[in-house]
Amino acid sequence: MKKLSFKILMSFMLLALFLGACKEEEFQIPTASDKLQNDLIKRSLGPNIVGGTIEFAYAAGIVPEKGKLTSMTVEASIAGATGTYMDNKFYSTNNSGVDVGATVGDPSTTTGKTTQVVYTGNFSAATLRYYYKIPEEARGKSISFTFTAKASNGETISYQAGPYEIRSMDMQLDLMAKDGTDCFISIADMKVYNSTFAAANPDKIDLIYLYRSLTNVTYLHSLVAPTADPIYLPTFTMPAGLKNKSKIVKAFTVRDQQLARIQYGVFVDDVDLRTKDFADAPDFAINVKAEGGVWVQTADGKYNAYIYINTVNNTTKEMRISVKRLTVR
Amino acid sequence: MSSFELLGADFQTVRTKAATIDTTAQTINVEVLYGTDLKNLYPQFTLVIDAVLDPKIVGKVDFSDLSKPKEWTVVSGNRKVRKTYKVYLTVKQ
Repeated sequence: MKKLSFKILMSFMLLALFLGACKEEEFQIPTASDKLQNDLIKRSLGPNIVGGTIEFAYAAGIVPEKGKLTSMTVEASIAGATGTYMDNKFYSTNNSGVDVGATVGDPSTTTGKTTQVVYTGNFSAATLRYYYKIPEEARGKSISFTFTAKASNGETISYQAGPYEIRSMDMQLDLMAKDGTDCFISIADMKVYNSTFAAANPDKIDLIYLYRSLTNVTYLHSLVAPTADPIYLPTFTMPAGLKNKSKIVKAFTVRDQQLARIQYGVFVDDVDLRTKDFADAPDFAINVKAEGGVWVQTADGKYNAYIYINTVNNTTKEMRISVKRLTVR
Repeated sequence: MSSFELLGADFQTVRTKAATIDTTAQTINVEVLYGTDLKNLYPQFTLVIDAVLDPKIVGKVDFSDLSKPKEWTVVSGNRKVRKTYKVYLTVKQ
């Protein structure tokens, strides 16, 4: 009986505690800061490659009664290459899904490491896009940015971005290889050459592009090293002196977004090129397909590369390729 | 063993058609595409439940010596029955 009374007493105490703990608090609308504020997002994805662009969207705003924006400035730790700029418009999307820009001032000016847009309009808040063209001197280094907004009441605010690592690799987009003419591919130069150049510079030629429609077997579009077994070079006359035994590994699901520029979120990075295993790799890749690719190591072991096949054309016997290449030795 | 697959370095099939599996003779005959890189292939076996393969396949396999067929032993679930299969490759010409 005593035990039962104790339990009932404890239950009442817990209930009282529970009810006491559930005191209702009214929602309060947060008070917005009346100071100049800013924020930043990095819009570009994937490895940062020399010659490529890093894109940011920098936003700043102030209560209209307190002032207007007067300028936005970006200072990079390494001066950007030609083509670095800040857009002098902010964008809104209309009912048709089209981004419509509103100009806030004159086009940006870039002096050394600093890019600036001076506001001439009457704007209290705006988001501007900044495009940093990665220069050669940033290769293999880290880079950071300071975004600064100023308001007419004298307030200044800054946002630090980075550091961002700039990769050591190179990238070349949209090389056209054509069977019978421009079919000699140089990884060292990241270019496609004709037979005259190949004969004059045999050391530079790492791959040969061929298109053959053979009976019985499927050959079609193929990438073959000059040293490959002649059965993989059907009806092809090799210019004298070509002797590079490139190592080639076929790939199919490596649709690098920077090379392909399609929807897949796959990126080939420095580490992929550096660590790719070429042991026992052959010197030919027969019947390669669009959206496929090949990993290549040059005969001298100096370069590892990934060649993405953007398109192939059976009628014109052409292949459009894009290349990422890393110097490994 | 109910099926046999063979993948290339790009993890796409290199077979020209379905492999022929003879469970009596314990052989697998598979024809691969012209230009297949025979040194870097990934075989895949489909076995009856609980059976295991000996040796285990842990990575790529070199099939380049066509005169010496690769061998794998299928071991039954109770580990009392062992059947060794030979895999014969031919390249489409």
